[in-house]
Amino acid sequence: MGEATIAQRLVEAVRSDFPDHQPGTRPVHTVGIGVSGTFMASEVAGQFCIAAPFRAAQMPVLVRFSNGSGSPVEHDGWSDVRGMATRFLPGDGAAMDMLAMTLPEFFTPNVDAFLQFTKAAMPQSVERESPWRKLIDMLRLELPLPDPEPGETMNGSAGMMAYANRHGFAGEAVFRAGMIGAPVSYARATYHAVHCFIVTGADGVRRPVRFSWQPVSGVRTTDPTAPAIDRYLHEELRARLAQGSAQFMLMMSVGEGGDALNDPTRPWPAKRTRVAMGMLSLAQVVADQLADCERVGFNPCRLLPGIAVSDDPILRARRDAYEYSQRERGATPCPFAGG
Amino acid sequence: MSIRSASAALRLVRLRGAEAMSGSVGWLERVVDRLPDSPVFQFLARHVLVPFWAWRTPVAVAEGGPVMTIAPGDNVQRMMNLVMKLKDPSPIGRAKAALAIAQNVDEIYAGLNNVGTVHFARFVLVGDHLCMFSVYDGDFTNYIRDFIATIGSVFDAVVALIDGGDAVIPTEQNVEAFIDWVHARDLYQVPDLATDLLNQQRDGSATETDIRRLPRALILQLQANPNVSLGSGYRAYPGFSAAQLRHRLEVGW
Repeated sequence: MGEATIAQRLVEAVRSDFPDHQPGTRPVHTVGIGVSGTFMASEVAGQFCIAAPFRAAQMPVLVRFSNGSGSPVEHDGWSDVRGMATRFLPGDGAAMDMLAMTLPEFFTPNVDAFLQFTKAAMPQSVERESPWRKLIDMLRLELPLPDPEPGETMNGSAGMMAYANRHGFAGEAVFRAGMIGAPVSYARATYHAVHCFIVTGADGVRRPVRFSWQPVSGVRTTDPTAPAIDRYLHEELRARLAQGSAQFMLMMSVGEGGDALNDPTRPWPAKRTRVAMGMLSLAQVVADQLADCERVGFNPCRLLPGIAVSDDPILRARRDAYEYSQRERGATPCPFAGG
Repeated sequence: MSIRSASAALRLVRLRGAEAMSGSVGWLERVVDRLPDSPVFQFLARHVLVPFWAWRTPVAVAEGGPVMTIAPGDNVQRMMNLVMKLKDPSPIGRAKAALAIAQNVDEIYAGLNNVGTVHFARFVLVGDHLCMFSVYDGDFTNYIRDFIATIGSVFDAVVALIDGGDAVIPTEQNVEAFIDWVHARDLYQVPDLATDLLNQQRDGSATETDIRRLPRALILQLQANPNVSLGSGYRAYPGFSAAQLRHRLEVGW
């Protein structure tokens, strides 16, 4: 047997962080829900990016919202990163994916560091810190380890925090992930595509950019002092869409010299030129979730002419890792694989 | 934004522990979880813990104004948050400041038009301080130099009312000293990334960054810099200078 590929190692490393992961499901962002809708590009979008989704007036989209965990058990109310995978379908069989999450930055800048990080994040048994330990933390004006959620017996928080303390690049993401909370609705969170992409404008200029989805209904998280509810996000979304659509504005920030173009651990300053690229309107929950959502394989590198991947090593590694994972779980074959 | 994250951290415990798990945790844990909100602990924190940690791990007063960077977007729409203590904090002193501004409105507006790199500027009275908040393009030093060249006399009238202002009057003859004087009163801008606060405070020899110390880092920085700008702020149209906007809006500048 040959040595495992990087893609294989990445997928297996992620999977190892979730002992109850089930074969045939996604290694992370396992619990999700698919929604269909439309995307309408803004009037100026085509000037900045000639890719089909930004030139057409309106096109169908498939969106999958998810909880970040690789566990098959749904814990909507737990503090966790959420995902939003969007497939643009501009017609003629073409497709482009955009994968985003509620954390604005990634944990590591390259694959080796990510493999180390996943090792550090291996779940350990957790208990509430003793009151005496908490008291000492308070006297030191320091942040105690977060209490485990009700029923949570293992997590990777302590390992991630220790890793972040040794590797400064992970600090921001680990700190924010620890504070992220739970959204009251999948439609009330901001999602960031995290990586830098290179877009070509109508003027032929290639620009480094990052994308975010901003909810029109505003951002809101649940009350952290209230008991966490395990299952509410899917029903909330169904109820919301039954009463009307949920909308997101796609914002694109244009990077400049000095910005971290190939390092997803560093968000760009809010002072970068920001372009409203279009409006996403979600209409209804997909009827056949298994066939039309869970079996669909998204890939952050599934792009169309006019938008390309940057040299971000994590983004490039995700391409093969997602393909490998899709093959493993029998998802809809990826066009890159020639399937 | 760092301040939001670090402030959330100040709760020190995830309260869900106490409320949601009330059946499975002991009375001592519940007491400790609620301790940060108790008047006794708050008194202790204010009068003992913060002074102790400020002495034990001193934090330098952070410099005001935006951080120097090479990115063009960082060099437009920069903030100046000038907070100047009035010599006379009584209503009479505050009225004098209001009058000094009112009497010089034409000079100020003409001067701002001539400087050309200012998006917005306004004077605000807060308690016994006169504040000047502005958004400008380019280098801070040049911004102040341009100001002095165009409305130095107005600055003299205003600075004369400020504690410690006499030393830099007339400003036109004390340009460098005046630049330093203004810089010293420009608010520190807390970094947008929480961990950048730790990096700024970190001793150069340290190799580790303990993110559990963020609450303390924020508290001690606010002890050293009581008045701060919370992050770099929102912009509706980031990345454009005043000159570019005027040009695109075709307002004949």
